[in-house]
Amino acid sequence: MHFKRRDFIKASALASTSILAPNFLNAFTKTRSYRSRSGKILIVVQLSGGNDGLNTVVPYQNDIYYRSRPRLGINKQEVLKLNSDQGLNPVMKSLQSLYDEGLVSIINAVGYPNPDRSHFRSMDIWHTASDSKEYLQTGWLGRYLDHACHNCQQPYHALEIDDSLSLAMKGAERNGFAMSKPQQLRRAANNRFLKAVAQSTHEHEHEQVAYLYKTMIDSQSSAQYLFEQSKVHQAKENYPNTPFGRDLRQIAELITADTDTQVYYVSLTGFDTHANQKNVQARLLQQYADGIRALVKDLKRNDLLKDTLIMTFSEFGRRVQQNASNGTDHGTANNLFLIGEQLQKPGFFNAALDLSSLDDGDLLYQVDFRNIYATILDKWLDSSAPQILKQQFAPLDLL
Amino acid sequence: MTPINHLYWRAGFGLSPEEWQEKKNWPIEKAVNQLFTLAKTNSTFDLPERVVQRRLNELSREEREALREQQRQQLARVNADWVRRMADPKSPALLERMSLFWHGHFACRSRGGYLAAQQIITIRRHALGNFRDLLLGLARDPAMIRYLNNQQNRKQQANENFARELMELFTLGRDHYTEQDVKEAARAFTGWSSNLTGDFVFRRPWHDYGPKSFFGKKGNWNGEDIIDMILEKEACANFITRKVYRYFVNQRVDEHRVQRLAKTFYQSNYDIAELMRAIFTSPWFYAPENRGTKVKAPVELLVGMIKNFGLEFENDTPILFLQRALGQQLFNPPNVAGWPGGKNWIDNASLMLRLNLPLGIVGAAPFNFRAKADLEDRQENKQGRRLQAKANTQSLYQMIFRLPEAKKLPALAAYLLLVKPQMNTGLIKAFSPSQNPQEQVIQQALRLMSLPEYQLC
Repeated sequence: MHFKRRDFIKASALASTSILAPNFLNAFTKTRSYRSRSGKILIVVQLSGGNDGLNTVVPYQNDIYYRSRPRLGINKQEVLKLNSDQGLNPVMKSLQSLYDEGLVSIINAVGYPNPDRSHFRSMDIWHTASDSKEYLQTGWLGRYLDHACHNCQQPYHALEIDDSLSLAMKGAERNGFAMSKPQQLRRAANNRFLKAVAQSTHEHEHEQVAYLYKTMIDSQSSAQYLFEQSKVHQAKENYPNTPFGRDLRQIAELITADTDTQVYYVSLTGFDTHANQKNVQARLLQQYADGIRALVKDLKRNDLLKDTLIMTFSEFGRRVQQNASNGTDHGTANNLFLIGEQLQKPGFFNAALDLSSLDDGDLLYQVDFRNIYATILDKWLDSSAPQILKQQFAPLDLL
Repeated sequence: MTPINHLYWRAGFGLSPEEWQEKKNWPIEKAVNQLFTLAKTNSTFDLPERVVQRRLNELSREEREALREQQRQQLARVNADWVRRMADPKSPALLERMSLFWHGHFACRSRGGYLAAQQIITIRRHALGNFRDLLLGLARDPAMIRYLNNQQNRKQQANENFARELMELFTLGRDHYTEQDVKEAARAFTGWSSNLTGDFVFRRPWHDYGPKSFFGKKGNWNGEDIIDMILEKEACANFITRKVYRYFVNQRVDEHRVQRLAKTFYQSNYDIAELMRAIFTSPWFYAPENRGTKVKAPVELLVGMIKNFGLEFENDTPILFLQRALGQQLFNPPNVAGWPGGKNWIDNASLMLRLNLPLGIVGAAPFNFRAKADLEDRQENKQGRRLQAKANTQSLYQMIFRLPEAKKLPALAAYLLLVKPQMNTGLIKAFSPSQNPQEQVIQQALRLMSLPEYQLC
């Protein structure tokens, strides 16, 4: 990312005023600036490592599925049936109940042309919304911040609950904000010397130094606010007692406190199940489903679910055929979930996977993930998808 | 801000105050020669005791738990030992630095201290030797074999994980091989396995002896053949040189220079020491645009602080805890691509933590914080930890106290910082109020280390 000095000076000026003006930090007098555009909140949930979609949404009537997975296939009796041929992994009861309430859209066979089986490359493709052979340095949400976000100078307009920021959240001019624990950040930002350093004048020719100063100043100006916000409201539901569960709780509490953040980003890791997949994936999917249900219920209780959309994706699905170690290797197309109250057509968006026509053992994609991004950008975030995605992708009838 | 400081920060982890006094006026050539000479000294790395003797399913639940705990403790020990070694002025700095580089390149998560130490011993043996030996050593390394599932790579059903990463991450990079090459290479590495206690074994019954077609050539290739065929490609020398350049010189690559270095590296038959010497003795290495441009990795930041202050931690816990809090745990990279480095180290939360560290560790105030929980950590529920260490402030003071008053702060800055700070001298002094001259030097040093500029090397 190349950082322009002009912006830096703007950012510093803004930050210094905010440090001087305690009212700025007052959570209760603040209005939601994002309301002025569309008032919608997006939560992106990333399942890292390549979640095995076939054992998440199971085609339980399909013989090819059971033939390809003699040990890993999930028993028909155990599948949580959603319709006449597809159902969920038995650990996902919580998601099934959301589905039954009409809060879930499942899109099958989401992918992109010429799929890449490397985690890193495929994750980059999803994050940057690039073509398979195209290398972009900015993420789709970062570009949303760059182009569409005229009313969102706050560094935490897009917030990742983590210690480090994903490529998806990095723009050319603006970045999302990474924070795993508000109290920890605030403690660090309360250093008097660093506040004084931030307020003294800087003219940084050195690109790295400028970047460090900008990040420091953004963090200082945001830390107190996010800390206050995190204390306003206590989530009521039971979240899984894991880092992912705590992250979702954090998001629920920030949203309920009317925090001036529009995009949240959170990840659950460990899906790279080359060996002994069954228990590993079950533990993760249960965490996912239970956590999401708690989040949805908390938001619903506060009548905020109507303003919230949750998108869940993974960088790729896995091979149809299981491997010799009771695991699965890197594959291609995968299912994607949208969760919320404003879905146009809850349930299955498209037909089940076609396991009879495979590309060298891998699933063929039916829906380009960038059509889903375009839908979210156009219809949910009220911005201009072609400008952000740099290509034309028609929105789908999802929202 | 001197060339010597630049060299020692890139080829090592900076200098202790005593080393600085001794070497700051050395000619570059002398310093480079000493770095390479020291790297040849025999510095062994102790192997912990082998603790896995029986199959897990032969153990009771309690025995399994005890075994895991023992492995974790051994791993923690190996980790902390290595960090102390990097910081020790008596250690061969260049060897430690190269080992850390290769540890990042050959990213591997190790389950226990024995496997971790065994791998790092292999890396140290070849860190400045021949790249082929290093590569082959790691292809036969039990920790790597387990991490990339080559244990499960068998004739009947290949597991492609190792074969793919070998080409994508270790040698060629993308676009230099096909999916078919991955499949065929995987077959060639079938049977490269490790036994229960942690040695490499070749399991004949699992090996696929059939003909394979790799890079368009047909033959009964085995794993070693695959490695040789990869090394025959100049793309491999290019890939490695590029990575070396980005790590040791500048993330912004000068293509022309990398091409030239790569050519020499290829012609030298992958002699790593020759490549490194070419870099450290080139005038462009010391050009202003290459200095102070690198964001310190967490381990570099930590090791640098230990060196600057001669820090002694009461036990290993803070050394391990800080790695986790700052986002880089040795033997536990985030994924097979290793640590992305550069600006990726810097995010809002991690930067604020970094800026607060010097005061937290050396300063008077207790400094507690929580790091992102790690699933394997048994103590994740502890709220925070005291991280203070004993600091040897005497050396730093010795370095400064004879200087005239006006030169003290600039001298400290020249030692501690690799970019000229936008320093507001008045501010540093105002925040270093002690009347005691020695305390004042320490306070000033801590303030300099709290500046964002200290994050660069």
